[in-house]
This record gives sequence, structure tokens and C-alpha cells, in this order.
Amino acid sequence: MTLFGRRNVLLAMFVVAAVTPFLVNDYYLFIANTILIYVLLSIGLNVLVGYTGQLAFANAAMFGIGAYTTGLLQVRLGWPFWLAFPSGAVIATAVGLAISLPALRLKGLYLAVSTLAFAQFTQWAFLNWETVTYGAGGFKTPPISFAPLPFSKEIGLYYLSLLFVVVLFVLAQNAVRSRFGRAFVAVRDSEIAAQSLGVDLLRYKALAFGISGFYAGIAGGLYSALLNFVSPEGYDLFQMVLQKSMIVVGGLGSIVGSILGAGAIVVILEALRAVKGVQEIAFGAILVGFVLFMPGGIAGFLKAKLRGWEEPLHRTQGGRPPPSTLVTPSEKSEVRS
Amino acid sequence: MTAPLLSVRDVSVSFGGVKVLDGINLDVKPGEIRGLIGPNGAGKTTMLNVISGIHPPHHGDVLLDGASIVGRKPSDIARLGLGRTFQTSQLFRGMTVLENLMTGLHHRTSSGLLAACFNTRRHQEEEEATKEEARQALEFIGMSAFADRPGSALSFGQQRVIEIARTLIGSPKVVLLDEPAVGLSLNRLAEFDLLLRRIRDEKGVTLILIEHVIRLVMDVCDQVTVLSSGRRIAEGSPDTVRNDAQVIEAYLGKELRARHPAS
Ligand SMILES: Nc1ncnc2c1ncn2[C@@H]1O[C@H](COP(=O)(O)OP(=O)(O)O)[C@@H](O)[C@H]1O
Ligand SMILES: [Mg+2]
Repeated sequence: MTLFGRRNVLLAMFVVAAVTPFLVNDYYLFIANTILIYVLLSIGLNVLVGYTGQLAFANAAMFGIGAYTTGLLQVRLGWPFWLAFPSGAVIATAVGLAISLPALRLKGLYLAVSTLAFAQFTQWAFLNWETVTYGAGGFKTPPISFAPLPFSKEIGLYYLSLLFVVVLFVLAQNAVRSRFGRAFVAVRDSEIAAQSLGVDLLRYKALAFGISGFYAGIAGGLYSALLNFVSPEGYDLFQMVLQKSMIVVGGLGSIVGSILGAGAIVVILEALRAVKGVQEIAFGAILVGFVLFMPGGIAGFLKAKLRGWEEPLHRTQGGRPPPSTLVTPSEKSEVRS
Repeated sequence: MTAPLLSVRDVSVSFGGVKVLDGINLDVKPGEIRGLIGPNGAGKTTMLNVISGIHPPHHGDVLLDGASIVGRKPSDIARLGLGRTFQTSQLFRGMTVLENLMTGLHHRTSSGLLAACFNTRRHQEEEEATKEEARQALEFIGMSAFADRPGSALSFGQQRVIEIARTLIGSPKVVLLDEPAVGLSLNRLAEFDLLLRRIRDEKGVTLILIEHVIRLVMDVCDQVTVLSSGRRIAEGSPDTVRNDAQVIEAYLGKELRARHPAS
């Protein structure tokens, strides 16, 4: 009955992901690795936007900060990748926490605008703080080595990314099913009620920003290693639009949705290379199509159509109207779903 | 004389130069059900916002169990034992009914983020206990069968009752209810005073009840405070208040005068 339930589908996707390096050429392995990196970005962003309801636009900047920190620590200070990479994640997390400070006072569009301003400032720093960032031209990072493991850089990095995706997916999935996930959704659905139940708004908003920063920082470090190159345009506004489309297409408030959305968007963009010239228009049309015909994203669609895709929080389907001593017949007819 | 559990002392609040609360005093004893009535715009909701920390007062003090809570964050005041519901439904619509109630236990659970992420044994046990307590809370209001329904699929009246249970589950000392009977069906309204008394007697919770259904207030409250234009114009037992000339003038109006011609 639940053959195509979430667990089985995820397992199948994991098996496919695990054997991919043996089946495809370098180019497709690069695409597959890109998907893994975007999965990390989307999971973090979904915690912040989908679960906690914070309309923030700083994720691409935090992605960039992760990539720049990882790259610059290697190039400028000669740190090994294995030290620079976690440092990048720590710095991105710290930046995420820092930009959450004004977020307690700012809501909706004001938060959107202030985080956009932060993102533009970061972009400006990447471009113009040349003595540190090498400016618009970017810089090359040293190729990383997996010795003594018997992997090429491409395959090693792919499995490292897959490892992060599996671990960080499970951690996020557990977190959103706990009192933390409930606190996030409480903040999203009613700040005033969340507070009156003892949920500290600043603390949980900061936590959500910190989590998205951490995921973006990990993704940034991996991305810098994947490209062996860091430059400002990878972390601009279009990058932000891309990540937002992934969580919308995958399903806001669904960790699995983040996986599906990231995969779908990268594949769609690749497919659209065939129609160069009208690529942007076609991409826009596809996004509009998703928003119109799949308002709950792919995850919401699967939840409605297949068994075994229910998730804690965000359940859209209820059972039949149950009897209750306190419910009148007129109320029962009201709650039909 | 028992010390008051909740004291409001000389509280004033102004919005844009207009005094919405003007030197209000209120003492509520433990175990009391206090009615708070008055015409629309009298300042009743503002009063609850002051007590729960949403709007700090511009002047005056609020004491819970003898300690001042003015200036504290709403979430801290909640932890100190003050629960409340709202004039409009504030159910978490993206959660099921059971998850809503589990959120009410937020401040009484303690699993850290790492324990939750790694789903430790202790965290699993706490989560199970939370679920069980939420089920009992649903049973208390007779809505067990609604556990897995999404919050967004309930009638307005049902949402209001779930919200009361969601506050009660956190074991507050005092609960402030802002027009809880709005949206209730007639059947449920008939049982509502019973529910309020059970909350007081079985849960040991002190209640402050803002309500426009005067019959309910008169039935269930030990003491009634009447606000009008930000001032307290009367206070006393339901009978005293019912017969107070100023109250009749300001609020209860002709309707009540017609029903109680003797006054
Ligand atoms: N946040 C606010 N800003 C400005 N005016 C407010 C605010 N909250 C309430 N008021 C005003 O305060 C007065 C009292 O409102 P309220 O406390 O909601 O009354 P009640 O609950 O008794 O109907 C009203 O005139 C209302 O317009
Ligand atoms: Mg009101």
C-alpha cells in the first residue's frame, strides 16, 4: 500500500545517488553534485522560510560567505581544506545568527527588504573588497585531495556531499518533528500565541536563521571545492531566486520537499539549456505553473495523492468528522473537510 | 484575607495621546473567577495585553504571586504561570489539534536542539509524555476525536475551545480569557460555564474572563469588574454590579433595565 511512500522513495533515491558515480560521466556527476549542494541549501532555507515563516533573502549571501571563507582561508592563509571548510560553516552560522537580531523587530516585507540590503552589501563586499576577495574576477581554490582514500577529487567530493545530505537531512527531519519544529511553526502561524505559550520569539527566530546559515555555509564550502573557483556572481540575487523557487516548488514546510524541489529545479534548468535564448522565460513560466497548479509544492501534491507521505506539522488531510460530546450537529457539518 | 494572586496597580496606558487605561486597579484572589466587562473599546483587551506583557503599561505595576512582572518578555511571563487566549482565533493552523496542544507544553519540556536532532532516548520519552499529556488535555474538553485534524479544519468555536486547552496544558496559575464564548454554538455555550468551573475546580486555575454574554458572566463569576473608557466604574459581586446605576447607564443599558424593572 505504501510502496511509493516517502520512506521507500527516499531509500530508492539514496540507492540511485550512491551508485551514480559508477553510472554517469563527469559532467552528469557534476550536475548530481550540484543537486546535493542545493538540497542542503533548500533544507536550511525551508526551516527559516517554510517552517518559521521568516521572509528572508540572505541565504545566497550566507552561501557565498561559506564559499568565500572556505576558499580564502586556503588561498590567503594556507589552511588545509579540512580546516577551512568547517570554519566557513561556523562563520556562515554566526552571520545567520547576527542578521537574526533585527529580525525580531522586522516582519514580512520589512524583513525581506533588510535582508535583501544585507545580501546586496555582501555582494558589494565580494566585488569591491579586492585586497581580500580578489574582486569581480574571483579566485581559484587549490584542488582538494582525498588521500589516503582511493577516490578521485570528483568522486570523493560527491560522496562527501552525499554524506552531508544524508546526515543533515536526518537531523533536520528530527528537529522539525520535535518541540523545536513546533516552536518554529508556532512563530510562523501566530507570534502572539507562540509568546503566550512561553516560546521566546527572538530565540527561535535566531535559531532558524542560525540553522539556515549553517546549512548554507556547508553548502558554500562544498560548492567552492566543486568549482575550484569562487566569484561573486554565484551568490547574487538570481541564486536567491533559485533557492526560493526550490522550496516553493518542493513544498514550503517540508524537509523532503526541499530534496524534491532542489532536484526538480536543477534538472529543469539543465533541460532548458536546449532552448537557449528563451531559457529565462521558460523557467519563469514553469515556476508560475507550479505555483498555480501545485500550490503545496511537490510534497503537498504527493501528500494529497499518495499514502505514506504524511508529515508531522503541516498535515493537510484529516479523518472523517469525529463525534464529540461538545459538538453539535451544526458544527459537524462546518468541519467537513 | 488571602493575598491576591494577580494584582494590577494603578495601570495607565495611552495610545497616541488617548488614555486607553486610566489608573486601573485590580486584585484577583487565587481560585477566583473574575469577570471583566464593559462596552467595546473600554480597554478590556488592552488590560490583558498589559498583564501578559504584550503592551507594557506606561504607568503602574502588575504583580503575579507578589512579584512584579512589568517589563518582562511575554514568553517569560507565560513561564511564570500566566496563560491567555485571544479575542480572535490564534490556533496554529498548520498543525494538527494534538500538535497545537503539544506546543502548549513547550515551556515545560526541556530537550535541547542536539537531543532533538539526534532523537535521543530521553528526547523520545519526553516526546511520548508530551503526546500523552496532550491527549489527556483533549479528553478534558471532550474533543479526543479531533486529535489528528488540522487546526485549519475546525469551526471557529472549536478553535476557541482548543486554544483554552492549549493554554491549560502548560499548568498556568492564572488564565486570561478574551471573549471565549464568541463563536460557540448554543449547545456548547450551555456547557461552557460548567467547563469554566471545572477549569477552576479540577485544575486549580484562577480565571479572568472578558465576556459579552452577560448571562455567562453573572452565572460563573465570583466578582465582576466593569470598565468604561479606560476607567473602572464598578466592582463587586454579580448582583451588586447588575444593580449599579452607573453600570446600567454605561453598559448594560435599556435591555437590562427592562428585565429588572425593580432596580
Ligand atoms: N495597539 C493599539 N494602538 C492604538 N490604539 C489601540 C491599540 N489597541 C487598542 N487601541 C484602542 O484602545 C481602545 C481600547 O481597546 P480594547 O482594549 O481593544 O477594548 P475592548 O477590548 O474593551 O473592546 C480602543 O479605542 C482601541 O481603538
Ligand atoms: Mg477586546
